[in-house]
Amino acid sequence: MMEIATTLLAAPKWIIDLVGKDNVFWADYVVVPVIKIVIVLFVVLTVVAYLVYVERKVSAFIQARLGPMRVGPWGLLQPLADGLKLILKEDIVPLKADKAVFLLAPIISVAAALVVLAVVPWGAAWATISSVNIGLLFILAVSSVGVLGLVLAGWSSNSKYSLLGALRSSAQMVSYEVALGLSIIGALMFARTLSMTGIVEAQQADGMWYVLFQPTGFLVYLISALGETNRAPFDLPEAESELVAGYHTEYSGFRWALFMMAEYAAIIITSSVAVTLFLGGWTGLGWLSNLISGWSWTHSIISPENLQVILSIFAFVAKLFAVIYVYMWIRWTWPRYRYDQLMELGWKWMIPAGLANIVLTGIWYVLALPKTSGGLFGLMQNQGGRLVASGWGKIYFIATGFAGTVPIIWGILALINRRSRDFNLHEQRQLQVRLRRERLQKGAEPQPAGD
Amino acid sequence: MPSVTTPVRKRTLSEVIKRLLLLDLFKGLAVTFKYNARALYEKREGGNPNQAIYTEQYPRERPRVSERFRGAPRLNLDPETGGTLCIACDLCALACPVDCIEVGSIRREVREGDKVNKKKVLTTFIFDTSRCMFCNLCSEACPTDCLELTQGFELAVYHRSGFRWDREMLEKGINYVRYSK
Amino acid sequence: MQDQEAAKAQATLFDAEEMVLNMGPQHPSTHGVLRVILKLDGETVTDVDCDIGYLHRGVEKIAENDTYAMITPYWDRLDYVAAVSNDLCYVEGVEKLLQVEVPKRAEYLRVILTELQRIASHLLWLGTHAIDIGAVTVLLYCFREREEILKIFEDFIGARLTAHAFRIGGLWWDVYPEFEQRVRDFLRILPGRIDEYETLLNTNRIWLSRTVGIGLLPAEEAINLSLTGPVLRGSGVKYDVRKAQPYSAYAEFDFEVPIGENGDTYDRYLCRMAEMRQSAFIIEQALDGLPEGPVMAKVPKVIKPPVGEVYHAIEAPKGELGVYLVSDGTGKPYRMRIRPPSYINLQSLKRMAVGHLVADVVALIGTIDIVLGEVDR
Repeated sequence: MMEIATTLLAAPKWIIDLVGKDNVFWADYVVVPVIKIVIVLFVVLTVVAYLVYVERKVSAFIQARLGPMRVGPWGLLQPLADGLKLILKEDIVPLKADKAVFLLAPIISVAAALVVLAVVPWGAAWATISSVNIGLLFILAVSSVGVLGLVLAGWSSNSKYSLLGALRSSAQMVSYEVALGLSIIGALMFARTLSMTGIVEAQQADGMWYVLFQPTGFLVYLISALGETNRAPFDLPEAESELVAGYHTEYSGFRWALFMMAEYAAIIITSSVAVTLFLGGWTGLGWLSNLISGWSWTHSIISPENLQVILSIFAFVAKLFAVIYVYMWIRWTWPRYRYDQLMELGWKWMIPAGLANIVLTGIWYVLALPKTSGGLFGLMQNQGGRLVASGWGKIYFIATGFAGTVPIIWGILALINRRSRDFNLHEQRQLQVRLRRERLQKGAEPQPAGD
Repeated sequence: MPSVTTPVRKRTLSEVIKRLLLLDLFKGLAVTFKYNARALYEKREGGNPNQAIYTEQYPRERPRVSERFRGAPRLNLDPETGGTLCIACDLCALACPVDCIEVGSIRREVREGDKVNKKKVLTTFIFDTSRCMFCNLCSEACPTDCLELTQGFELAVYHRSGFRWDREMLEKGINYVRYSK
Repeated sequence: MQDQEAAKAQATLFDAEEMVLNMGPQHPSTHGVLRVILKLDGETVTDVDCDIGYLHRGVEKIAENDTYAMITPYWDRLDYVAAVSNDLCYVEGVEKLLQVEVPKRAEYLRVILTELQRIASHLLWLGTHAIDIGAVTVLLYCFREREEILKIFEDFIGARLTAHAFRIGGLWWDVYPEFEQRVRDFLRILPGRIDEYETLLNTNRIWLSRTVGIGLLPAEEAINLSLTGPVLRGSGVKYDVRKAQPYSAYAEFDFEVPIGENGDTYDRYLCRMAEMRQSAFIIEQALDGLPEGPVMAKVPKVIKPPVGEVYHAIEAPKGELGVYLVSDGTGKPYRMRIRPPSYINLQSLKRMAVGHLVADVVALIGTIDIVLGEVDR
């Protein structure tokens, strides 16, 4: 145990001095993590509140209007006003609702969303709360528990429509989770570890962000993440114009705010997984760190190691916001899918694409292994104990990723869906009109416009 | 959903490539991104459709109201004598589709040189803005340009009784409470 | 009987039993106070029943007690989205009764204002239809263009929405000095904006999935249901009142009437987009050829048409809007009947919705383009 602590997450000297030399264990495993947890929770919850503000501003600018402007300069205190209002609202529990479950459901959702923050690698070295070596699996598993909160909310509201809405939402989330899990395996083949910090270090070692090796994986991941978090274009279960009300209709005041926090926290989590796995995590500002550390006068202000970590946090957060911006951009641009189209997309497009991606990536990888390990092309070399793609290897993987995997997967998807209605819209139109006309001519009652 | 065999239509290669590369989706994203970017660097001028942000921040930026706008009613006064232009002919009340005008008058003897005429003189004029539909029929019916619908559109009141405007209020006009921010 | 009862006893929540869903009067997508009662089998609609009357204001009865000039403002409130064209229908009907000749300039100005209103109405339709299907941004863009049109109306007529635009015999006001410049400026930016909407929607695969093949209405059924307007033209029937029975100055303008092919939601969408462009074309022609002259005919102060009856119809943005006036020689009409296009087009909802999913009902209500003020009068 002590070995793990002495690597990344060892307590800094000043805390050990504070706690006493005999209590290094406490310093490593209790004091430092608690401090980090408090900081991360505080920051993330504020960010979640301000993400609502950012969404309103982004949607406003896209829609040629201004967004919140009145509360504070540029509307910056709007989340504060919203939070205050929600806390002060009347606490309504439906009459025949199952009270205990009703109160528990939003808590489960939020807890599941927030626990995951413990393994997200916000930056290098000490900027992670805990570096578990099954980090990614932990994230997928714990964020799935959020679905439980959703279903309990719908069921305990004692409303037929809330229940149906909750079931649809949860069915959608579960389907897209399968696709999510499949899409990341391609990148994991390169990283060869489930630890989040390990994945980022693998990208450092490979010298390439995995998005270039795995374009289909990234795309499938993004779409599945949109489906998982019930965001547009997959937000029919919670859209206002949908007839059946969503799972959180009966919730008002702060309980509803907890659901919204859970949703935005889920957005942050899926985005951080995307950034870690595909976009290089906290790497990217190393050149700046080296530049600034090159000026020796900065050493008195901040040590080079800490500077590196701080800049890595900035890099991570910048990429995180870029991905979150893409989520918001998509939401305010495209219409939404109907529920059956959404499920069809998940099961017949995303999952086959994910599976095919795994198989194809495996093939390209095995072919590139060094000739001694049985590979054909030998485009990888041993670098410090791990297999890393050589210069030509990088080009090979990028080329197979874009020019090999993408067309093959498209071909497979077209083959699977060749009879699907949405894939052949033109033909379906002509055919349905013709069928209807024939039925009418035969003198039958005008039949319903079935699909 | 019954499955139907669909006749396969020959797609052109460019169509296939466009579908594959999700071009239709990205074109839409480009449009909205342009608006987002423009919103950040363009100078804001409310109400200009060529700008990226179209909002007019009321009540800071007041909207420009046209000359012919039919808003709050007003009884005009004679600029020379200061007296009312209204001759109490009751045409406005007759023209109103919703019966929101009540004109009260008395016949008074007025000396005009040698002759003594009994002329109608306006006493009360009640205009109920809650019933009014601002259709302008009253103003068009008025023969002396007395009754006019002006450019006031901020007609909200705190009390129902505030909707019935009497002659004094109609002649003076509404006092606006100007909000500066 | 016993089998039925036994089957019922074993029925559970998930068995095929019809569920009745009430899309109540207060709903964000019903474009007004419309109550739609859906019978569902799972998610598939098996029956649709519309319950209307929540906005009934008794306009036709009011008309029997008001003089002809006083009735005109009530017509704005029918299809409150496209108020100016409503006025045109009634005012031309009365002019037919009175056999009054409207000056040419007034007719051209009426055409300009009506076509501007058609663009505004279609913009609102597009915005609300898009937001029902999920594309929120299009609503805001359409309202920006509509705002420009409403500003033009405000400067010309005096009010934006329920503008009492036309009078019996012509218009009350002539143009204001910058009118032509403003309208031409607007027409200059309009095609670019319509292109923007089309970029966002026309080829977007999500939009296509939601609208192609939804609400198929073959031409014969559309004619049998007495549909008019873009709903009819989307099914392929060439019928536009402006071409079939030209009124006002439409006979002098050269424009096309867009016709759809298949009668689904996508075709109706394309029809209305093309109609917007055609309206812009008509306005340009009218501005170019605007004659000089008075804008008001010589109409008596008190309008007393001779005994008789008249039916006059125009092509409102929603369909064929008609007025049937019976005059008994006095200053108030004996009977005024409004032929509301939305009311009659709403019949097609049942034909279109049965067999589709619940989420499509919202798209279908949007594609018929109803305004409850007209449905209920």
